[in-house]
Order: sequence, then structure tokens, then C-alpha cells
Amino acid sequence: MNALDLAERAFSTAEGDQAEASVHVERSGFARFADSAVHQPTLIRDETVTLRVVRDGRVGCATTNRIDHEGLAAAARHAAEAADSSPVDPGFPGLQEPAPIPEVEGYDEATAALTPEEQADAAAAAIEAAPGFGLYGYYTSGVSEIAVASTTGHAVSQATTDVSVLALAASDDASGYAEATSWRASALDPGAVAREAAEKAARTREAAGIEPATYRAVLEPYAFSELLFYFAFTSLNALALLEGRSYLSGRIGERLFDESFTVWDDGLDPRGYPKAFDLEGVPKERVLLVEEGVARDVVWDRRTAKQAGDGRKSTGHGLGAPAQAFGPIPFNLSVAAGKAASVDELAERVGDGIYVTRLHYLGVVDPREGIITGMTRDGTFRIEGGKVTTPVVNLRFTTSFPALAAGLLGLTEDVALVNCSDFYDERYPFGTLVPAAATEAFTIVGTGSGPGL
Amino acid sequence: MYVRPVHELADHAIDAAVAAGAGYADARVVQRRAQLVATKNGEVDSVSDSETEGVGVRVLVDGAWGFAGDPRLSAEGARDAALRAVSFARASAAHARRRVELAPIAPASGEYAAALERDPVEVPLEEKIALCLRAEQGMRRPEVKITEASVRAMREQRAFCSSEGARTAQRFVECGGGIDALAVSDDGRVQNRSYPSAHGGSSGQTGWEFVEGLGLDREAPRVGEEAAALLTADPCPARVTTIVVDAEQMVLQVHESVGHPTELDRVYGTEAAYAGTSFLKPGDLGSLRYGSEPMNITADPTTPLGLGTFGWDDEGAPARRRPVVEAGTLAGYLGSRETSALIGRELGGSMRADNWSRMPLVRMTNLHLEPGAGTLDDLLADVDDGLYLCTNKSWSIDDKRLNFQFGTQVAWEIRKGKLGRMLRDPTYMGVTPEFWGRLDAVAGQDEWTMFGLTNCGKGQPGQHAHVSHGTSPARFRDVQVGVRQ
Repeated sequence: MNALDLAERAFSTAEGDQAEASVHVERSGFARFADSAVHQPTLIRDETVTLRVVRDGRVGCATTNRIDHEGLAAAARHAAEAADSSPVDPGFPGLQEPAPIPEVEGYDEATAALTPEEQADAAAAAIEAAPGFGLYGYYTSGVSEIAVASTTGHAVSQATTDVSVLALAASDDASGYAEATSWRASALDPGAVAREAAEKAARTREAAGIEPATYRAVLEPYAFSELLFYFAFTSLNALALLEGRSYLSGRIGERLFDESFTVWDDGLDPRGYPKAFDLEGVPKERVLLVEEGVARDVVWDRRTAKQAGDGRKSTGHGLGAPAQAFGPIPFNLSVAAGKAASVDELAERVGDGIYVTRLHYLGVVDPREGIITGMTRDGTFRIEGGKVTTPVVNLRFTTSFPALAAGLLGLTEDVALVNCSDFYDERYPFGTLVPAAATEAFTIVGTGSGPGL
Repeated sequence: MYVRPVHELADHAIDAAVAAGAGYADARVVQRRAQLVATKNGEVDSVSDSETEGVGVRVLVDGAWGFAGDPRLSAEGARDAALRAVSFARASAAHARRRVELAPIAPASGEYAAALERDPVEVPLEEKIALCLRAEQGMRRPEVKITEASVRAMREQRAFCSSEGARTAQRFVECGGGIDALAVSDDGRVQNRSYPSAHGGSSGQTGWEFVEGLGLDREAPRVGEEAAALLTADPCPARVTTIVVDAEQMVLQVHESVGHPTELDRVYGTEAAYAGTSFLKPGDLGSLRYGSEPMNITADPTTPLGLGTFGWDDEGAPARRRPVVEAGTLAGYLGSRETSALIGRELGGSMRADNWSRMPLVRMTNLHLEPGAGTLDDLLADVDDGLYLCTNKSWSIDDKRLNFQFGTQVAWEIRKGKLGRMLRDPTYMGVTPEFWGRLDAVAGQDEWTMFGLTNCGKGQPGQHAHVSHGTSPARFRDVQVGVRQ
């Protein structure tokens, strides 16, 4: 049974004034490797149905992966009990009415057909390409199908594929990182990713410390992507905006960043992970978030659009019931490319500073001010005289993302799709399309251990 | 509770795996139901009820692991999972560099069930909603723009069988709750306070009486008042000083700087690509100076009410209390049968999987800072000039678990042994063994409190673990505080 059939069967079991079923189907394989051997190979298949029912203005949800009649009937009963137990929800925006969804790419038959043996072979290809180091990471591919159907007559579904390879080449005193992701397996070369990680690792031995200070810095797409997504999660989100927690609260229309900084969210872009609709079934729209440094908008879901009033509409960034408490999330961020031909050119613009490959364990210290802390790892270097030179130990940064983006010195003309999913819960591939960035403001507050295991 | 058909499914999976060439196989059948009630600003934000079930089969073929999960609790689903796990293991074995060896273990047999008075899943949703709304009401102040309350309940049956003859049935019941107040000033400053813990409150493995005992509505007025007061508090200045850390923030300190680094899979590097490794090495056991004399850390999956309490872990190792740090010296690790074989000592019993669809990993169970002596007031009394830090706000630690920066929701100045003015946005930072070396006192048993967390992430694909930590307030000398940027 496909996801849409299951969704339609599921909401028909519900009793209420309105009902909606969203279905998430996953088939995936994860060839996780460590010390150059596959050690946690995991195959997952699951079908999850979430029912949302509306009874006299009261809303309740229930989720199940028991998709036989008995399981769906139990979910319908639980959803009805949840609704009947709740007071009327004045903020409920109603269910999505029928609407056409855009045509998008994002599904590749060859990727969907990858077998566990081929996933293990791809992991082995990465491992064999980095013979001088232990290789740690994974090769994973999967098929996800999402469907939303409801009593309003709205019925949409989309199947997507995704594949990612992540490689950490490491020894006791050296480590380097690379990754690649796509919805087409043919676009990825696991060996090339591993070689990039190994080449980076070979340059990290005998790392030295540096003094805490605000440095000029080059951030590879891996690092820039993670900072951007943490900032976006807490600030480019309509719920945070409305509640005054966002850096953009009260600042829409103001020039907050360098004029080279333009950011949008576009689920329709085939270079990313295309999405035709969000998890409420709302068609995806391209949203301009920052235009030449000026804050323009955030992303919206149905609930926040109703809360804002003024004719606001969802931009197609809602999470599925009952996860809307996080507010809408920009899952398809893009940063406009710059004019730098390479990261070497960015290093020239920096002159003296640091070069950062990857970050680790970010935490938002102050969401209202966009202050984020974390560590660098697996490829941190000094930039001296416009050249990337000697390795540096892992650095503790506590930095303002707005200051970083206000102080941009350049962006590369190439952008890379960086995977942002850690594959918790149901598989929902997403990533950012970002260039490498150079900034005059990346604040280091301490030093940690050296590269390596 | 011993559900014969479920065990028969697990047996069926094991038989299929062994027949297909597995040298070892185990199967877990998991059936879980969970509820969440969340309210916000006096309205219901979410009422949800979820069920999941399935079988997870783990095999060793030619010394290589394979794992597959299937949601169908049927003979066909169990067999398919087994055969897919074998096929993935065989493909992995072709590229293996070493054979996985498992430390021997006596096949487990028996049942475990959490002790409880009132099944939290059966508590009417109306009662849960009413509790949340009541607690929220108590937090309201003009400055408090957002009030939130939530309660959760979970019930899970987990059956385990292995090709070595293990056969266990376990029933876990959890519930918990928490409240949060967010204050926003007219000029856009934002501050928050939470109780009993940030990031989802606190949970215990027992009945609804645990939630009733939290006193969410009792504490609500203080939470609201403190959130509002933080708006006009002075910022925490940067300096090196003495800190007294409350029990809730000590939970995070223990979790991040002792729990994760003592996981043997990190020590051996298998988490290097994601969660990271550890500054500890296998040979450090029994000799590494982790901290000062008052530092005693124990892993105890037998603690009543703990979210990491069980009869057997997810590879059939029995629950056993073990020292991890004794009088400041590294005394133990958290491990598995595989890591026990690597280190040459029996250190298993910490293998846990998020769900039926995930492979077990080395995880914390209940990891406690053992109490010292005296009261919180006694700790404060011996501070001439310092800070009292309460309730986690932000956290980050490096991939070897050495360099950390943690932020708390609030601090109070300590002057001549007494609490003084409130300070906002406190942070502190350190390097793990140096920081624990600055510990000079832990408050006693009367101050010892256990908190249950449900958001510990690890693994690829990602897994959440539910763990508990018992801690008392603790005092550290000469700590860098107040670093923001």
C-alpha cells in the first residue's frame, strides 16, 4: 500500500468534524563504520500514521505504526479521546484546504533500489580511499514517502530519496572531515569524500594553541551551514518572531547583516532536498529571508499565520502534528553565492586569522542576540599572510552569528549542499545550500585538545 | 506480563537468523505507548498519544554485526528482519578488519517491572490538562509573556531473546513534567526560568504519583517571579571565582563531563565521527586522577525511580551497581559485551536501544554524584565571594569531553556565606579533570535529588536515551565565569 492510500484509509477511520492523516514511510540502510570497518549496519523499515481529529473545535492527535484495522481504530480512538479531553483551541487554524502542489524533483529510482550489499560496498569504497588513517563515518541511503490527506479533500504525497556519506579520517594525533549528500547516489563519490578527509587530516598534526580573541576567519560550508541552521532554528521561525525570542523580533526591514548576505528558503530547488509540501500538507513557497543584509521575513506555518493575522498565510514550513510547538522550520535554506573563486581567495581576504572546517556540539547561549557556542574540530588552521598555514587545536568559540554575518568579507561562488539531519526519529532528509564564508568576526574564548582520536 | 506470543516471535527471528548463518543473534520485541500534554499561555498546545511496536534483530555473521528492524509483529516480519540483518552483516563482514568478540555472559532469564501506584497512561487526559493549566496560571506576571507546562507518560513492554538462551520480559513505566516561564522586557530582552529542570522537566520510572510529587503548581509562582526579576538583573561579570552549582545543573555537569567520556564505545572510537571520543584511554582505569577526593560517581541501573533502571540491558546483561569514579580516581567504565572483550574486564550492562528500530549502543543508565556531607547552606557558608548557579540554560562540550562551556538560567552572588543579588546570563567554562579537581565539597544526602532526562542523543542513525542522575549541590573553587563572547 502506498502512503497516500494508507493516509486516506487512516482518516476514514476517525470520528470527528474534521480529520487528517499524515503518513511517513521509511526504508533505509545505514552502513556506519569506525576504524575502517563497518560496525553498526542498520536497516530500518517503518510506516507511521498520525491522525489529527477536530471535534467541536477541540483538537487531538494520535500516532501509530500499527497499520492494520485494529491499530488504526485504536489511533482513531486515542485521537478522539485527546480531542474530547481538551478545551476548544482558539488558535487552531483548521486543516489545509485542497490546493495544488508544485512539481518537484527529489526521487531517484537507482538510489531507491540500493541494496544493503551496495550500501556496504559504498562504505568500503570510502574506507579503501583513506588507507593511511582510520576512517569513521557512514554511508546511508533511504526512501521516504510522506502523504497528507484529510476530510477537506486535500490529498498529497511525495516520495524522496537521499544518500549521504560522511568521513572522518583520524589517527591519535590527526583528524580531517568531509561529507557529501544528495538525492541521487550517482552524484556522490564516497572515495573522493574519504580522500578529502584524509588529505585534510594529514595537515593537522602538531597543532598549536592560539590566544582567545575575535579573529577573522574562513568557514567551510560544513561550519557555515551548522551556524546558519542553529541561528535559523531560533530566529528565522515565525513563532520565535511573534514571541519576541528571535533576533529578528522588532527588526524586520532593518539592515542587520553585510549586503553580500542574502538568504532564502526554497523547497523547490532541485539542488537541495526538494519538498513539494510541508508536514501539514501546505504547498512549499520560496521565502526571501534576508535580502542584501536586510531582514525581510521568517518562515510561517498555519498556526503562526493565523496568530499574526494581517492576511498572513503559511509559507509551507509547518511541522506535523503534534510537533508544531517548535514553530515553523526553514528546512531548505540557501545562502547566495559570492564571487570568490575558492577558499584560498577567501583566505587572501582574511589575511591573518583562522580557517575552520567543521564545528561540534553547538549550543545557543542567547537566542535573542544570536549568540552561539561550540567547538571547532577536524581541520582548524591558522591563516597567515593570506595563506592557510599551520594546524590549530580545537577552539571554543562563543560568537554572535549576526556579527559574523555583518562582517562578511566574502563568499565563494560555489555552493555545497550540506546535510543537516542526524537521522533521529522518522527519516526526513534536509540540508542547506551554502558557500564557504569569510568573516571579520569569529570569537574564540578558549582552546581545547588537539585533533585526532 | 510474560507474553508468550511475543517471545515466540523473537525466537522465530533468532531461528531464522541462525539458519541463515548467524553465529549469534538476539531479538527485541518492543511495544510502546506514550502520551504528551502541553499547554501554553492558558491554552492546550498539544495533546498526543502515540503507539509504536516492532522487532529489532541483531546478528553476528563471520564476526561482523548486522541489524534490522521491522514494524510487523508477525512471523513474516520477524523472519524478514532476521534475514535482512544477516544479509547486511554478511556484506559488512566482507570488509571487516577484525572479528567482533563478545565477553561471555550467563543467559538472562526472568521478568522486571517498574514499581508504581497509578499507571500514568491511564490517568485521564482531563486531569493532566488541568494540572498543566493550573501550574501555568501560577507563573503569570505582567512581564511573563509565555508560560508553558507539560506532562508526559509512557508504558513499554520489552521482550528479549538470544541464541544463547536468554529470555527476559520487562515492563517500563515513565512519567514526568515541567514548567517554563519566559519574560520579555519592553526593550526586547528575554529571560526564562524552569522547574524542576530545563528542557522538558524531570521524569521518573514509576506511576503518576511522581508527577504529583513534583509540585508544579506549588513552584509556579517562584518560577514566574524569578523570570520577571531576571529582566532587571545585572549581567554576570567575567572573572575567576568560587561557584556553588545547584543539583539540577550538576546533573548536566555529571552527564556531559563524566557520563559520556566513560562510555567505552567512545573510548574505543566508534562514536568518533559524530558524538566524539573521550579523553580517557583503556589503560587509565584505576589510575587516572579525574577529580578531587569528594568526587564519587556511581553507575546504578538498580536505583528506584531511575529512567536507566532495568532488570537487564538490551543485550541481556543484568543490572549491577558499579563505581565509575572513587575518591577522584577513575574506577569504572560503561560498557557492553563487545567492549568488555576489548578491555579484558567484565564491564557490560550499559547497552540500550532507543526503540525496536535501533541497534543497542553503550549508554548511561543512572549515573550519580554520590552525596557528601552537610547542607547547601553549609556549602555557601564557606564562600567569601562567589556565585550560586542554578538550572541549565545552554551547554556545549568538545569531542573529547574536555573543554566545556555551560550556561545557567540564573546566578546569585554569594557574599560572606550568604546569597545576595540575582545575576542574569551566567556561564562557566573549564576543562573536565581540572574542573573536577577544583571540587572541594558536595552537599549531603538530604540535598541529593534525582532528575530524569529524556533527551540524551547519540548514534547514527540518532537515538534518544532516557537517563537519570542523582546529585547534590557542589562547590568548585577558581572557576572562570561570565564568558559570553
